[in-house]
Amino acid sequence: MTLSNVAVAEWHRIHRLEGPDTECNRLQDLGFTPGEPVAVVRATPLGDPLVVVVRGTQLALRKREASWIVVE
Amino acid sequence: MTTPVEAAESEEADPKTRTVCLVGMPNSGKTTLMNALTGGHFHTANYPGVTVSLLQGRSRKEWGPPMTLVDLPGVHSAVNPSPEEELSCEVIESRHSSVRADRFVLVVDATQLERHLKFAGFVARQGKPIVVALTMMDLLPRVGAQVDAAGLSRKLGVPVVAVDARHGEGVPELVSALQDAAGPPAGSSALATLGEQPAEAYRQVRTLLGDSDTLVQPEGLAVLVERDSLTARVDRIAMHRYLGFPIFLAVLIGLFASIFWFATPFMDAVDAAFAVSGDFVTGVFPDSMVAAFVAEGLIGGVGAVAVFLPQIIILFFLMTLLEDSGYLARGATLVDRPLSALGLHGRSFVPMLSGFACAIPAVFASRSIPTLRERLLTIWIIPLMSCSARLPVYALLLAALMSDVFRQGLALAAIYIASLLIGSMSAGVIGRFAFPDRAPSLLAMELPVYRIPRWKVILRMTWSRSSSYLRKAGMPIVVVAIVLWLLSSFGLGSAQPRFADTTAAPLVVPAEMDYSLAAQLGQATEPVLTPMGVDWRVGVGLISAFAAREVFVSAMAIVFHVEGEDEAVQSEGLLETMRTATFAGTDEPIFTPASIIGLIVFFFFSLQCISTVAVVRKETNSWRFAAVQLLFYTGLGYGAAVATVQGLRWFGVA
Ligand SMILES: Nc1nc2c(ncn2[C@@H]2O[C@H](COP(=O)(O)OP(=O)(O)OP(=O)(O)O)[C@@H](O)[C@H]2O)c(=O)[nH]1
Ligand SMILES: [Mg+2]
Repeated sequence: MTLSNVAVAEWHRIHRLEGPDTECNRLQDLGFTPGEPVAVVRATPLGDPLVVVVRGTQLALRKREASWIVVE
Repeated sequence: MTTPVEAAESEEADPKTRTVCLVGMPNSGKTTLMNALTGGHFHTANYPGVTVSLLQGRSRKEWGPPMTLVDLPGVHSAVNPSPEEELSCEVIESRHSSVRADRFVLVVDATQLERHLKFAGFVARQGKPIVVALTMMDLLPRVGAQVDAAGLSRKLGVPVVAVDARHGEGVPELVSALQDAAGPPAGSSALATLGEQPAEAYRQVRTLLGDSDTLVQPEGLAVLVERDSLTARVDRIAMHRYLGFPIFLAVLIGLFASIFWFATPFMDAVDAAFAVSGDFVTGVFPDSMVAAFVAEGLIGGVGAVAVFLPQIIILFFLMTLLEDSGYLARGATLVDRPLSALGLHGRSFVPMLSGFACAIPAVFASRSIPTLRERLLTIWIIPLMSCSARLPVYALLLAALMSDVFRQGLALAAIYIASLLIGSMSAGVIGRFAFPDRAPSLLAMELPVYRIPRWKVILRMTWSRSSSYLRKAGMPIVVVAIVLWLLSSFGLGSAQPRFADTTAAPLVVPAEMDYSLAAQLGQATEPVLTPMGVDWRVGVGLISAFAAREVFVSAMAIVFHVEGEDEAVQSEGLLETMRTATFAGTDEPIFTPASIIGLIVFFFFSLQCISTVAVVRKETNSWRFAAVQLLFYTGLGYGAAVATVQGLRWFGVA
């Protein structure tokens, strides 16, 4: 399961990141590290991007980016 | 001979030559602190990526021995940085060609300790002395956390000072910590031992904070997803599935339409003041050339533009309010999907919107867009955004087109929104041809919490934007007013003397408008202007507008006023003059709906701002880009104006 297809307002733990290297490194740097709880707060009107919360911060992630974040 | 290192050390010893850099993640309050330390008016706003260049200043005298301060753009991550982040990384890692930091003030948002301290590790590893400034302490209750500065300082091994720079709280303490932090370089602090790998560094940060209540983190997974109730409540509506876009549109329409709706009483007051002083001058010194110059050239010309100053101030005020609320990042998120389909980026929305104030900071603001292609496309379309220099022109033309203020407001909003839409779509078309290969980019944009704007901050920003607008536009307006008045009041050896009291040189003599130098120059442009449905007098205005777009308004005031010699014409408003103006020798009006709409279309597209061309050249590092942009938009403006006028006439609109 990835962050792009989890239900809204539900906590999940990040398992690993699976995608282009530089982008995934940057996402990790921003706080999406394995083991960390994340949740989708809401989808925007067009369904993409998603608003996610990690380490107490809300970020807008495109679905493509959210699909690199594999959750447990 | 001293080596560079020794020189650096001896400079460091003298506080007067010490350079202190403000670093931190975006939107943590660095520039707000910079303003408090320097007494400056640098741009602050509630979205990440406001500062995109190095801001330099000296600390105020009241803070002890003055030091040089440099405010850096915020950095999300040193991995794959965008240009403005790269600039900060250069300074932090001592790679910058001119700015060398001796000390750092690390600005840390207390509500997001983990992420900000993780970044702090990167700065601390550079081995320079560090003082941590904790901001947003007032927002801690909202996230249900507490942070104790003294405790944090013990854990991190560097001085920590809580500040609220909006009111100057904690700033004296910060300065004294900075001045006696001559102590150990931060190389030995706990902060500097944080690892480089994100996962490892975050784990270490948590261990560092571990045994305290400073942790801002859901304890098990059962905690509510949304904690901050104000932000959650607003976002539920602002990003609502069905309401999100209608609200977005309403915000934009409200912003632009209220420029008209609220400005009328102020405009009438300015107008009356200039009219009275013009009449006064001509009344006291009738028939004198100097009086005519002051009344028609200066008061008439400058006054014609000054009337629109209230609208510009209202625009700046509302934009500042919007920027400070935190809504902009939401707007950017809403439009990311359509914009990225066109080859732009969600973040392009912020430069596009600030293009409504002025294209120059907007071009700089596009530095925060991660990939080159998206950045270049954004810079390509910024000149299409209706900047504040166009506002007086549109306001004048719309008032000539329709008399109802409510409809003028809506029409103005339509022009602004059209510039957003046409701009985005042209990016789609141009992008396909000019930059075929497309690298995908990362959005990952932080959504700041909504903050209740502080009136003091808003009013100060509005004032500093308005006064810098005046400084920039004032000079061209006055100079062109003088030149134009001279050109339109004098002719080559004319038989129609204008002033009785002058003994003029035989070659250049005061002349009636139709025989003036301006007329002779303007008439040369007539063939080009006829298809646009206007005469040479409007042509003089269009050419003058290349000095600054708002000059068009004062040029119209001078060119059309000088002509009417009798008192009645002089004291009536520019609008009335335009309404009655006819093509020379006929009673065919110049300003018909078709020709006015044609002029609006011309100003909509054409790029008449040399400073924009220069800044685009600098940011893209390409003369070709800037030159093509100038020729393309100005050519397009003329072509589209002619097509509009001819098209409207074909449909029977005069
Ligand atoms: N509530 C609160 N707001 C603050 C505080 N300090 C700054 N702000 C607000 O936070 C917002 C961001 O401030 P800036 O100074 O522009 O942030 P910055 O770190 O320079 O941001 P970038 O230039 O994007 O890196 C502004 O709206 C400020 O008014 C604070 O202590 N408390
Ligand atoms: Mg800043």
